[in-house]
Amino acid sequence: MKPAEASERLKTSFGSLLSGRNSRQGRWFLALIILFLIAGLLSVYTEQFLSTGNLLNLIAQAMPLIITAIGMMVVVLVGGLDLSVGSVISFTTAILALGAPAYISIPGVFVLAALIGLTNGLVVTRLNVHPIIATLAMQFIILGFARILRPVSGGDIPDIVIASVNGAFLGVPLPVFWGIFTFVIAWKLIHGSRFGLHLFAIGGGRASGAEDAAHNFGVADKRNVLLAYVTCSCFAALAGVFLAGRIVSGDPNVGLNFELDAITAVAIGGTQLSGGVGSLHGTIIGALVMALLANGMNLANISPFVQTAIKGGILLLVVGLQSRKKMGL
Amino acid sequence: MAAMLNNSLFARLSRIPPAYFVFVALLLVLWIARPHMLNTNIMGIFIRQVVPLGILVLGQLLVMRVNSIDLSGGSVIILVNYLISSSFFHDASLVTYFVLAVASGVGIGLINGYMVGIRRVSAVIATLAMNIIVIGAVEFLASGKPPGAVPKFLNEIYNSKLWTIPTPIVFWIVLSLMMWVLLKRFVFGRNVMSVGENPTAARFSGVPVERTVILAHALAGLMAGIAAFVQTSSLVMGSVRIGLDLPILAVAATILGGVVFGKGEGGVWGPFFGVLSFALLFVVMTTFNIDEPGKLVAQGAIILLAAIFYGLKTAGSK
Repeated sequence: MKPAEASERLKTSFGSLLSGRNSRQGRWFLALIILFLIAGLLSVYTEQFLSTGNLLNLIAQAMPLIITAIGMMVVVLVGGLDLSVGSVISFTTAILALGAPAYISIPGVFVLAALIGLTNGLVVTRLNVHPIIATLAMQFIILGFARILRPVSGGDIPDIVIASVNGAFLGVPLPVFWGIFTFVIAWKLIHGSRFGLHLFAIGGGRASGAEDAAHNFGVADKRNVLLAYVTCSCFAALAGVFLAGRIVSGDPNVGLNFELDAITAVAIGGTQLSGGVGSLHGTIIGALVMALLANGMNLANISPFVQTAIKGGILLLVVGLQSRKKMGL
Repeated sequence: MAAMLNNSLFARLSRIPPAYFVFVALLLVLWIARPHMLNTNIMGIFIRQVVPLGILVLGQLLVMRVNSIDLSGGSVIILVNYLISSSFFHDASLVTYFVLAVASGVGIGLINGYMVGIRRVSAVIATLAMNIIVIGAVEFLASGKPPGAVPKFLNEIYNSKLWTIPTPIVFWIVLSLMMWVLLKRFVFGRNVMSVGENPTAARFSGVPVERTVILAHALAGLMAGIAAFVQTSSLVMGSVRIGLDLPILAVAATILGGVVFGKGEGGVWGPFFGVLSFALLFVVMTTFNIDEPGKLVAQGAIILLAAIFYGLKTAGSK
């Protein structure tokens, strides 16, 4: 191979890695570069950023968003969207704060989350309702239930939940293990199983306008889409358990706007909102970018109201940069 | 289920928007439980409360007919509320305030339209993002506190009556009539219908699809601005917390009124009765002591049930 040809080949392969145009995994490499840029800026401007304490704290801060965004991505892969995750998180903390024994309440929240996801999925796949409308309605119903159970923040979280979030094992804080646990499960689910492969197949067909492509190739599309919504709600419940342990109370407003943050993280990570393109590592990178931005804005003393506005602007920007055929909803 | 869907009686009934049934049902509930509530004065007060919602719905039905959605109404209401009640435009005239409200609404609507029509962003994400951007900015400007007093003359207009009917209600009916004429008699109305039915076919028939979508969003912003103006007039003090749940109620009322995503169906009067149903629903809930969380559940359930109703209907007609 001639040197010029080799460098040309390197250039195109790097270009395609950067743009993610030819990849099933999307534009995650660009997100990784942005992540390092922000981390670099933060470490230059503030001394304590790179300290182990701050980094571990950052992981604990980012964990709920990482977990929620992974769940959201599963639904986005099939071309759907779940706007009810924020309410599911609030609902989960409200239930954990009821004071029931841990061996009832912890499995209980996952059963309830699975039921919520099942309802979402059934309404979308069997009753032919647009996913955004179905999950938007569900968002209000679940938020209502959360506020009935716990009108203001408070209540008793089971000790085991608090310990599992705030403790340490062999000197390593437990949120790190939460991260590893979530990553292993999600990797198996999305990139290592038939279910994950089918998610890409269903979403890929829908994104290119062939609604029934996966179905025609023998993929049980309705069942898999249904399972995607169940998965998403269960991940949201997991994030809710983590958050409950962190804030040590039940709070009906803790999940407010969480769905938008999760969608932003997913979109930053290179997942196409029309479906079929995306990756787990991209989503985690996206969530970390969001967490770093929040951390940086806090260090820069930016008002929380402006922070919300900036997050909205980022969402509008990343989604606006994605190409989509369909217009409207 | 299939047998029920093929039934001709069901088919005929399903063509009537559910808003009418809900309206009649709630009226019956009130008539049985609290007959003394059903007089023009009390009803006038309750219906006057939902006028901002009713005006917002006029915009929502337009964007929903072009297969889009606008969830940024809450931010327009807060922005206009802030602009009128803060000291920025102290002692301005009625016309200035109105122009201010309309301009902010149309501005936000145009940005929404650009994002949805040209950038092809999912309308839910675009308008929700727009919503939190504007709300964040306004709350920052107001630093979370109520900005100030609403000019008195706005309050007086809001409380006045025209031929025994509260002025806001007359205003709402007139606006609804105008929207009805726009959809029935103007080329734009035809364009909205064809874009909603099938964007690809509309494009090949020479309908300016993008322009129609942008215009629909701009008009929805305009309606949100007017709704914000009425909402602000109803208050004595400005607030940065009011009206946040209005956009979602507007979606609920519009779905209830028989407007379906991606179908040219549905008029102005179905959603009109959808809004009236919500007015009655609030009365019923207040009389039965159901508080805010219960209302959230009821709103969500109504959206879900109405959407399921149409989902089944379109599945049956395939």
